[in-house]
Amino acid sequence: MDETNFSLTQLQNWMQGMLIQHVPVSTELVEVSQVVNASKRLSAVKHLDIYRQSYIARLRACMQNQFGALAYALGNELFELFADQYLDANPSGSYTLNTLGQKFPAFLEQTRPDAGEEEKETWPDFMIELAGFEYALSEIFDEQAIENNTTPTNDAPDELLKLTPVFHLFHHRFPICNYYLEFSQGKEPDLPFPEESFCAVTRRACKLGLFNIRGAQYYFLLNMQQGSTVEEAKGELVKTFNFSRTELDKVWIDWRRNFIASGFFCLKEADKFGK
Amino acid sequence: MDGNKDKYSDTVKNLPNPGLGLGLRSKHFNYILEHNPAVDWFEVISENFMDSGGRPRHVLRQIAEKYPVVMHGVSLSIGSTDPLNWEYLTKLKNLAHEVKPIWISDHLCWTGVNSLNTHDLLPVILNEESLKHICNRINQIQDFLERPVVFENPSTYLTFKQSTIAEWDFLRYMSEETGCGLLLDVNNVYVSAFNNDFDPVHYIHQLPHDRIVQMHIAGHQHCGTHIIDTHDRNVVNDVWNLFNLAWQLTGGVATLLEWDSNIPDFEAYHAELLKAKQYMSGLAGINDIAEKLPDEEAAVSNPVDFLVSDILG
Ligand SMILES: [Fe+2]
Repeated sequence: MDETNFSLTQLQNWMQGMLIQHVPVSTELVEVSQVVNASKRLSAVKHLDIYRQSYIARLRACMQNQFGALAYALGNELFELFADQYLDANPSGSYTLNTLGQKFPAFLEQTRPDAGEEEKETWPDFMIELAGFEYALSEIFDEQAIENNTTPTNDAPDELLKLTPVFHLFHHRFPICNYYLEFSQGKEPDLPFPEESFCAVTRRACKLGLFNIRGAQYYFLLNMQQGSTVEEAKGELVKTFNFSRTELDKVWIDWRRNFIASGFFCLKEADKFGK
Repeated sequence: MDGNKDKYSDTVKNLPNPGLGLGLRSKHFNYILEHNPAVDWFEVISENFMDSGGRPRHVLRQIAEKYPVVMHGVSLSIGSTDPLNWEYLTKLKNLAHEVKPIWISDHLCWTGVNSLNTHDLLPVILNEESLKHICNRINQIQDFLERPVVFENPSTYLTFKQSTIAEWDFLRYMSEETGCGLLLDVNNVYVSAFNNDFDPVHYIHQLPHDRIVQMHIAGHQHCGTHIIDTHDRNVVNDVWNLFNLAWQLTGGVATLLEWDSNIPDFEAYHAELLKAKQYMSGLAGINDIAEKLPDEEAAVSNPVDFLVSDILG
């Protein structure tokens, strides 16, 4: 049996191809046994197989970790099938595993089983939203931010309230946040029916907080996220939704207390107000 | 190009021995912060912290104030034929600036080519061409980081027909040519030796002991025809015995117990590490070398601990 004389580059390309391609293509018709030694107990092919199996198993496990709720929702078998296809099409190009699933939500969208059909099923929509939410959470967890802000007391004036540095809003067609929370509390949630939902995700003292909110609250907070003050955001709500200002001022007292208790707000620095 | 090798070499020979250390795992963050356990030092996986702006980085900062820390990487890919990844190296240098590790280590391996990463520690061809290639890259990296780097022998599951140099000699030449340090993973020697038919005792005898600044010990999974380096269980007696041999030959260096999956609670992890004390004299380690039976479940080698879990902590 002939030894193949690979350059370093050729050898690495060959071996990598054997790992990352589901069906390895051996373009140069190189037999594994021409490159790899057999040992007392294993053939050359079996030696290489250890790397091939570990490669996919490791990345699969990482995906499972990053998309735990999705893996539960899909069931392990189906999740693995999607994850394998995804990894096949998007091998990692990063030094970190943290971003392995970055394109997974988009991949699920592109490859949804009913892609070619007029009549769309709803469950793929749920899975895609859930995947996007889970990946977003992993990003928020590691987001760069300085978190040494002061939490306002209940008597802080509205003008001094601003959103906490790590604050994200989500609008879903399914009750994604509920589903995720139930899953992470060890419950076994059923596949939900479509139902518009809104949630806020905060990070305080490095811990994530997930909060279901109402539609009007979502738009109010969205305005604040875009730079509005409390007063301006209230004005927007009145304008956009035809709310009565008096009614809004009444519910605002509850909203405010809940938002402060949930850590949505921190204090603007007082010196900006000329004190 | 290798003008600094003597300087690095001197640095390596004067590195301290901080004692018995543990890997810093997210599962143990709270325990460590609350109890300040009497562990001599911690080893952190660099990639798990270099991009973090949240809890992992925040916890690491606090731990680095109280304990000596070593930064252990898995993505340097020293053997790859791709160009060096300067973005990665810059982040590594920044993290080192913040954490002030007593040293920085990675593996004698490659992880991918064509800008891909298999996230595995793949074996390098051991010949003149790759030795030159690797030494050249070590020189560039050490000059960029302005410090010597320490390289670990990986677990290997195959050898190449084109290899002409024994791994222990390859590591020796690397350290002679560049001044780099060595991390002797005793369990990896055991695993590679079983998988590739060499004698682990001979391997350990042949290494340049004065270049070894650290050892790893870990548990593995025996699959009958081969052994997988799983880092998911206690250390077997044969590995403790090899550790005892390496301890005598090196005169004793920093030692770390790796545990990356099925991670036990902190106290059990620490207790397993402290068993090392029994093997740090000339007396231990002669007895009980038993043929181990294969373990049952399927195994995945575990070079990487990923930190995606417990987001809601
Ligand atoms: Fe190791």
